Amino acid sequence: MKILICIKQLSDSKDISRFDAHALEEAILLKQEFENQGIDLAAVDVVTIGPLESSKIIKRAFGVGADRGYHIVTRDYEYISSFETASKLAVVAKKRSYDLILTGIMSQDLMAGQTGPMLAEMLGFPCVTNVVKTNLTLENHSIEVEQEMENGFRDCLSITLPAVLTIQAGINTPRYPTLSKMLTAGKKEIVTFNEAELFPGEAEPVRARETFVSMEYPEKTRSGHLLRGSLIDKAGELLSILQEKNLV
Amino acid sequence: MKHILVIAEIFEEMIRPVTWELVAAARRIMDLENSGLIKIITLSDDPLSLADKIAEQTGVDVIGLKIPGCMGYDSDVYKQALSWLIKNMEPSHILTAHTSQGRDFAPGLAIRLKAASISGVNKIKSDHKGLIYSRSVLSNNQNMILRPVPGIPVVLTIMPGIFKFDAHENIKKGQMDIFEAPFDFGSDSSGSICHKRIIKKACENKVLKQADIIVSAGRGIGEKENLEKIFQFAKCFSFSAVGASRPLVDTGWIGYEHQVGITGAVVTPKLYIACGISGSSQHLAGMKDTQFVVSINSNPHAPIFRHSDFCIVEDAVEFIQAFLKCKADREY
Ligand SMILES: Cc1cc2nc3c(=O)[nH]c(=O)nc-3n(C[C@H](O)[C@H](O)[C@H](O)COP(=O)(O)OP(=O)(O)OC[C@H]3O[C@@H](n4cnc5c(N)ncnc54)[C@H](O)[C@@H]3O)c2cc1C
Ligand SMILES: Nc1ncnc2c1ncn2[C@@H]1O[C@H](COP(=O)(O)O)[C@@H](O)[C@H]1O
Repeated sequence: MKILICIKQLSDSKDISRFDAHALEEAILLKQEFENQGIDLAAVDVVTIGPLESSKIIKRAFGVGADRGYHIVTRDYEYISSFETASKLAVVAKKRSYDLILTGIMSQDLMAGQTGPMLAEMLGFPCVTNVVKTNLTLENHSIEVEQEMENGFRDCLSITLPAVLTIQAGINTPRYPTLSKMLTAGKKEIVTFNEAELFPGEAEPVRARETFVSMEYPEKTRSGHLLRGSLIDKAGELLSILQEKNLV
Repeated sequence: MKHILVIAEIFEEMIRPVTWELVAAARRIMDLENSGLIKIITLSDDPLSLADKIAEQTGVDVIGLKIPGCMGYDSDVYKQALSWLIKNMEPSHILTAHTSQGRDFAPGLAIRLKAASISGVNKIKSDHKGLIYSRSVLSNNQNMILRPVPGIPVVLTIMPGIFKFDAHENIKKGQMDIFEAPFDFGSDSSGSICHKRIIKKACENKVLKQADIIVSAGRGIGEKENLEKIFQFAKCFSFSAVGASRPLVDTGWIGYEHQVGITGAVVTPKLYIACGISGSSQHLAGMKDTQFVVSINSNPHAPIFRHSDFCIVEDAVEFIQAFLKCKADREY
C-alpha cells in the first residue's frame, strides 16, 4: 500500500497549507492502521512544488512519519495554475504506483480546490473531494469514505483504489513532529527535480489555460464604521450604539 | 453562436436554487459578450419533470439527459455524460455552482474537455481583451483576476449568493430536448465509486436560527477557555445565542450546532457580533443577511471588516472584558 500526499508551503508563513496537514495526518493514521492489521508494507511519500526552502515542509513531514520526499523545485513562490500544478504532480505520481493520493480540499493561498480532481483525471483515477472520514476495508481493494455536502449531509461511498481523495479539516488533529523522528529526518533523502527533468525533451510541456491579470481588494458590502479611541472608549461607544438601537 | 451551458444542480430529485443564480451569471456573460446562447443541462434517471420545471421557471432552453440508473449525483457519471454531450456542442462557457457537487466534478470535466477552469468565481467583468473573472485568494483578503486563454472553452464554478436571478413576470417557457445517454450506469457494477447512503448529521441548531442576537467566536479568541467570555458576552443580550466559525468546531472546542457558515447554519439575526473571525467566504455565506454586523478583530485588514457595520480593532477577549465593565458601570 503506497500513499502519496501533495503538500504545499505557504509563501508568507512558510508553514504547510492547513488542509495538507490534515491530509498528511490521515495518511499516517492509515499507515498505522495497516500496521495494526499486520500489513506493514505501507509507505507514505510526500511531494511538494515550491522554491528550495519548501524542503522545510518535507522535513516536517518526515518528522511526523513520512518515508520519502519528492521536491519539484521552482524559482520562487510564483503563481502556478492548478492545471500546471496537477500536470507536474502527475509526473511524480506516475513514478511509483500509488494506491492512494491525498491532497488538501484547497490550498490556503490559492483556494482553488482544483489540483486534486485534476490530478485524478490525468492519472485516470476516481476522485472523492471533501472527505471528512476514511474507513479502511481491504475488500475489493477499496476504501470507504464520507464526503461532506451542504446542510450537514454526508455521502457515504466506497471508492476503488487507486484513487485520489481531497481532505477537509475536521477529519483529524494533525500531530506535531517528534524529536526522535526529526533527528532521523535529516538522514532521509529528498529527491529533487527541476522542470527540465520533469518533462525531458519537451520545450514547453504544459501551459496554463488561464493567465493572471491582476489582484484586487474585495468590495465593501457594508459601511464599516471604525470605532476610535482607547479600549474603554470603544467599548462605551459600542454599548451606546447598541442601546440606541434597542439591541441591548 | 456559441453555447453558454449551465449545469443544473440537483439534490434528491430537487432543483437547488443556486441553479437560478447560474442562469443569472450566464446572462451576465451573454450581456458582456453581446452574443451567446444559454442552455441548461440537467442529468437524471428521469429528467422530464426537472427539465420542465427549469424551462418554465427560467424561460431558457433545457437539455434533459436521461441516464438510466443515475439515482443522484455521481462524479464519474457527471464527467462521462457531460463530456460526451458537450464535446459536440462547442460551448464557450460551462457554468456549475461552487458547491460540494460542482467543486467535485468541474475540474475533472475541464480536463476531459481540454478547457480552462476557474473556480469560485465571484465577479465577471470585461476589459479591452475580453472577459475576465475574479476569485477569492489569500484567505479572502484579495481577489485574483484571471483570463482564460482564447480559443478553448472555460469551465467556471460560480460562488453561490453573488448573482441574482430576477424572474420577470410572463416568462415564455423554454424549449426542452430530452436525450438518452448511450451508457447505463445502473447495471454497471464496475463503477469505481459506489454510493452507500446519504446521512444527515443530527443537529439541533434551532437555538442559533431563532436567536435575535448572535455572538460568534473564531480562532482569534486564542484558546478554548476564552469561550467562557463569549458566553458571558452573549448573556448581555436577550434572545441571544453563541455561534462559532468552523475551525472551533473541527477542533472540538464547541459543538457543531454552533457552527455558522456554508457547512453550518445560515442565520439572519438582528445583530451578529464576530469575535476573532477573519471573514472567509464560507463563514460570510452563513451570516451575510444579518441586519447589523459588528466585528472585533486585532488585524485592521481582516476581510470581515469589509462586511461589517461597525469595526473594532482590538483583542477580542480584552474588548469583551471592557464592554462588560462598561455595561456594569452604567447599570450601577
Ligand atoms: C468546503 C468548505 C466549507 C467550509 N465551511 C465553513 C463554515 O461553514 N463555517 C466557517 O466558519 N468556516 C468554514 N470553512 C472554513 C473557512 O474557509 C475558514 O477557514 C474559517 O471560516 C476561518 O475561521 P476563523 O475566521 O475563525 O479563523 P481564521 O481565518 O484563522 O481567522 C482568525 C481571525 O482572528 C483574528 N485574530 C487573531 N488574534 C486575535 C485577537 N487576539 N483578537 C481578535 N482577533 C484576533 C485574525 O486577525 C483573523 O482574522 C469551510 C471551508 C471549506 C473549504
Ligand atoms: N505547489 C504544490 N505542491 C504540492 N501540492 C500542491 C501544490 N499546490 C496545490 N497542491 C495540492 O493541491 C491541493 C489543492 O490546491 P488548490 O487547487 O491550489 O486549491 C492542496 O491542498 C495540495 O494538496
